[in-house]
Amino acid sequence: MVDIEKIEKRTVQSFYSDGLAEIAIGLIFLLLGGYFFAQAVVPEGSALGSALSVLFVLVIVSSGFLVSRILRFLKRRITYPRTGYVAFKKKELSPKRRVATMIIGGIIGGSLAALYGLSPSLKTLFPALNGILFAIAVLLFANKVGLIRFYILAAVSAVIGFAVTAAGVGDTKGISLYWGLFGAAVIISGLASLAIYLRKSARADRENPDAV
Amino acid sequence: MPSDLRGLADIDRLIHEPARLALAAILSVVESADFLYLQRETGLTKGNLSSHLAKLEEAGYIAIEKTYRGRIPLTLVRLTDAGAAAYRAYRARFKKFLEKTG
Repeated sequence: MVDIEKIEKRTVQSFYSDGLAEIAIGLIFLLLGGYFFAQAVVPEGSALGSALSVLFVLVIVSSGFLVSRILRFLKRRITYPRTGYVAFKKKELSPKRRVATMIIGGIIGGSLAALYGLSPSLKTLFPALNGILFAIAVLLFANKVGLIRFYILAAVSAVIGFAVTAAGVGDTKGISLYWGLFGAAVIISGLASLAIYLRKSARADRENPDAV
Repeated sequence: MPSDLRGLADIDRLIHEPARLALAAILSVVESADFLYLQRETGLTKGNLSSHLAKLEEAGYIAIEKTYRGRIPLTLVRLTDAGAAAYRAYRARFKKFLEKTG
């Protein structure tokens, strides 16, 4: 009997089989780490410091745009000639889910701000909190996709967060170190997946037209 | 006919065939996929895949677009609205049948 759910899940997993998405996302995280590091070393109140604060959204948006272009280029060169072209549906969040996401984000952000207001020393815990929150997000994603390596990355996120906090690097430098290390971990995971993918998938003979 | 089996009598036989069901399941989660991708995912031969795709296209369940990416021929396949509705109906009916029969 055909296991429909397994086929649907395997199809979704196939997008991540080449590891390229992880490499691209890992690069964004590294960039984010670099951004926080710059914020940590640039003196507060300086013109460059103010510019960095303003540039945050621009950094995120432009890196997302750039990385998606690179990802598409790499998919075209590496994946499609080997395992074929596939375009996935772009899922728009329903208004209900969008509101729920905003409320949850607001609660988390508000709670963190309130905690910080009660005790500024909690700032030192930011890398650990960052690690846990992101671990939860990766865990939810891993559950949806069903790939073991994403569960491992979720655990890695929490471990890095705690390790950076335990090392006492500081808040902004700690956050930058967290994103740098986690970005590197995601890239390593992507490169390992890419190596396995390339070993398993030979380029298909595309000279012969498809027969339909 | 026993009531348990009545649900199966009017099941969409075009989709019920294992290879076509696998194709519909794949296409239900993607916007479009090419011939090579479908062949790799289903493990069907070129001839078999062509024949199943032709049947689904004839029923109006899929749309096939022949194009080129550079100089490379590309056959893009996507589930039509009718195909998506038929797949959803099949899935729901079969799930109901399995629940009934345990």
